[in-house]
Amino acid sequence: MSDFVQHIINGLASGTIYALVALGYTMVYGVLKLINFAHGDVMMVGVYLGYGTAFQLGRGSQSSFLGVLLIFLVAMAGCALLGFVIERFAYRPLREKPRLTALITAIGISFALSYGFQLDWVAHLGSASVTLLPGAAPRAFPEIIKPTEWLVFGDRDVVVWNWQVISLGIAVALMVGLQLLVFKTRFGSAMRAVSFDHRTAALMGIPTDRVIATTFMLGSALAAGAGLLYAIKDTAVQPLMGTYVGLKAFVAAVIGGIGHVPGAVVGALLLGLCEEFVVGYTSSSWRDAVAFGFLIAVLLVRPEGLFGRAVAEKV
Amino acid sequence: MTPATVNPPLLEVRAASIQFGGLKALTGFNLEIRQGDLKGLIGPNGAGKTTAFNVLTGVYRPTSGDVFVAGQRVNGKLPHQINRLGLARTFQNIRLFKQLSAVDNVKVACLADSRPLVSAERVAALRRRGSALARLGQMLDATNNYYDWWRALLLTPGFLREEEAVTRRADELLEVMGLAHRRDEEAASLPYGEQRRLEIARALGTRPRVLLLDEPAAGMNTREKSDLMVLIRKLRDQFSLGLLVIEHDMKLVMGICEQITVLDHGETIAYGTPEAVRADPKVVEAYLGEAQPAAAAGASR
Amino acid sequence: MGAASAKTMPYWARGLAPLLGALAVLAMLQWIFGPMHFFVYLSSLVGVNVILAVSLNVVNGMTGQFSIGHAGFMAVGAYLSGLFSLAVKELNIRGLPATLSDQLLLLAAIGVGGVAAAACGFLVGLPSLRLKGDYLAIVTLGFGEIIRVVVQNTETLGGALGLSGIPQRSSFYMVWLWVFVTVLVARRIAGSSHGRSLWAIREDEVAAEAMGVDTTGYKVRSFVVSSFFAGVAGALFAHFVPIINPGSFTFVKSMEVVVMVVAGGLGSTTGAIVAAVCLTLLPEGMRSLFLRLGGEDASLAQKVDQIRMPIYGLLLVLLMLVRPQGLFGTREAWDVLPKWLSRRGPALKGPVA
Repeated sequence: MSDFVQHIINGLASGTIYALVALGYTMVYGVLKLINFAHGDVMMVGVYLGYGTAFQLGRGSQSSFLGVLLIFLVAMAGCALLGFVIERFAYRPLREKPRLTALITAIGISFALSYGFQLDWVAHLGSASVTLLPGAAPRAFPEIIKPTEWLVFGDRDVVVWNWQVISLGIAVALMVGLQLLVFKTRFGSAMRAVSFDHRTAALMGIPTDRVIATTFMLGSALAAGAGLLYAIKDTAVQPLMGTYVGLKAFVAAVIGGIGHVPGAVVGALLLGLCEEFVVGYTSSSWRDAVAFGFLIAVLLVRPEGLFGRAVAEKV
Repeated sequence: MTPATVNPPLLEVRAASIQFGGLKALTGFNLEIRQGDLKGLIGPNGAGKTTAFNVLTGVYRPTSGDVFVAGQRVNGKLPHQINRLGLARTFQNIRLFKQLSAVDNVKVACLADSRPLVSAERVAALRRRGSALARLGQMLDATNNYYDWWRALLLTPGFLREEEAVTRRADELLEVMGLAHRRDEEAASLPYGEQRRLEIARALGTRPRVLLLDEPAAGMNTREKSDLMVLIRKLRDQFSLGLLVIEHDMKLVMGICEQITVLDHGETIAYGTPEAVRADPKVVEAYLGEAQPAAAAGASR
Repeated sequence: MGAASAKTMPYWARGLAPLLGALAVLAMLQWIFGPMHFFVYLSSLVGVNVILAVSLNVVNGMTGQFSIGHAGFMAVGAYLSGLFSLAVKELNIRGLPATLSDQLLLLAAIGVGGVAAAACGFLVGLPSLRLKGDYLAIVTLGFGEIIRVVVQNTETLGGALGLSGIPQRSSFYMVWLWVFVTVLVARRIAGSSHGRSLWAIREDEVAAEAMGVDTTGYKVRSFVVSSFFAGVAGALFAHFVPIINPGSFTFVKSMEVVVMVVAGGLGSTTGAIVAAVCLTLLPEGMRSLFLRLGGEDASLAQKVDQIRMPIYGLLLVLLMLVRPQGLFGTREAWDVLPKWLSRRGPALKGPVA
């Protein structure tokens, strides 16, 4: 029984991280109808930025409140910039092209990032050497938030860790914030207008390019935050982490109904729970099959996802 | 008029209705098309004309009511199955296979049904002898649809003949529609009016008995329109078709259609000869609100 | 051969004539190159990739669906044919010389692999009844990953370590024979009403359906054909490499094939062939060049493999930005290929939509 409860807690905890990444997918899909395959890899870049910042801060200051804040800020700002660059130079020129072109581009970017980061390029400037690309080997992520037991039941039967509570808190806050942004602000109405029909929105005087770029930057920043939480939990960084976390988050977004903000969160929590139970009761080597099995099942039964609306093609 | 027994309805719609959510897009729609009919379907924008086409051709399944094609009830059948029963259409917003050449567009539609592996006569002969082979032959035929690619892979004589026949037929149809000179040009590169005609040629490729034309004259100039009127009549006679035409151009509809159905908000508000429809106050109101009655007839633009 | 003699031949002989010709030419090449081991290995790699690219092109190029799980089908073919060959390793068909018996058993193994992969293709093709574009892509990706995870967790398939000891029965002859068969099938489908139906689906599914094309049926069938040949490629692969493990059939392998198809031009069989040959030979050639140079450059040989993937990624992005239609667009390189290879397909022009 206590096993069961522990699995639920762990499942929800990893689900919240998927949720944060899934929000980025869903936002971008919402405005552009594009599955940004590179989203997970942008997240990975964010984690490396955070790692680098922590490394520069040194052991002492990296776990102070200001240090952690700085790490998150650098990672999120860096990712926002990366998201902007990708949107501006890879996706924007293809906006009026068939969707397949954009999809192939997204896959290409994902590939270039995840495998590019597996190279180990170090630039030598005089005596100093600067790591340009980190290499394939996984690195230990510094303990910027020291894992402590937040709640312990019985004889350590059920343990709730502080980072689990923190990520749940952050995920819920961000989800509420996002929902408010989309439905209560002027920028949100612009986003919804662009999502509905970006050509008409442009005719109505909405700066579509800016709205789309901002959405990309927001989504990428979210991904960086989520990636750091994931790295804190997993205590490791490696170039392929983004691909898998990204794919699972995407699965979560589809399960919830892509483009639907609360749906993405629900889907992510469901996926987290499912994975945790499969891993808990069988073997961790099946973990990666769960997400895809779940996805295929959902798509076959209800392709529009749990909360999505089926859209018929106009004839 | 010919009695119904001689000329049965090829397309029959009985009280077809369709709802999207709470919106009644089409209510109690009735229609009958026999060989040689040339009917019109008109109505203001958003009246449900294209929806009616979509219900007839199987894109949408009617919420209630029945559609019969060649005597068969087709509710819930897939568009390609309905097409095979002899109902073809064109699209309002041209949907050609853009990157294919004009002739290939038509050839796609001319696709031959997979030939039976064992000819019907042979199966019948075998059955007369009471042979179990007859059943085997039938079974083979039933599945042949799924594996008859072997004919293309081996270039069987039957396949080569069929390909030749398809090409010849496609060329004939292009000729009829006056597109022979565009044979090898990419469909997307044709001028607007020719694209519309290519759509008709393509629809004819499926050997329809009833042809539904969705705004065939849209975007054409006056000259092209009058040519089209002549052409539509010619098609009806040459291919023994029944025709249903959606059109905004009143002059064209009134000029060629013998019977006209008028839709407004999904409901049939009038049905009859062009003269009767033109005089119907409900029609005038639907088109012009409270304006002058005479304008409806003259509203060619 | 003269037109008169072609007329007098029975149709099946005429239809199979290119294949019979290829058999003879390949036999000669086998006789010449057979003993050159590195050449045989390299050309087998090239051949397998050509089969993969040409078969993926049937789904991604001709039918306009987007599958990114081709390596999964390859894995199914490789593992099942491998198991089959392991089971019949000691067997010798009575009354036949050992080599011939081996080749017949290899053919049987390839058949097993191909059919198993085709069955999987049918299963994956089914969701395409309901799914479009990106969703279908994800499902195929998911399928590939599930296959990998299943293999990793199955003892009889060697788990993560891989399956070894499969008899090395493949030859230059066998691989290129299948390359030829794949290309012939792809081209002849393209030149028939079936091919036109696939093209129609790619261009406009709604219109294709309205013109009497059984779109769902054709989509599933194109998946079946495509995955059959992916399975064949896997089976061939399993019979010339010392060991097969899940690592050979990851998403990376699928992506490699996608890059080949996209670079060659979606819909162009010859494009897929050219791209597959180039993208296989280039890294291999660079690697052997660096190895030959020796010394400090030898470490560069390792780097070739590392840098290949990011370059593929960038190549995709660049292609989409600069030349989305790829090398040949939807056209074929007819000036290069002899006419008798197939009847001419639809005259397609212009860029990919």
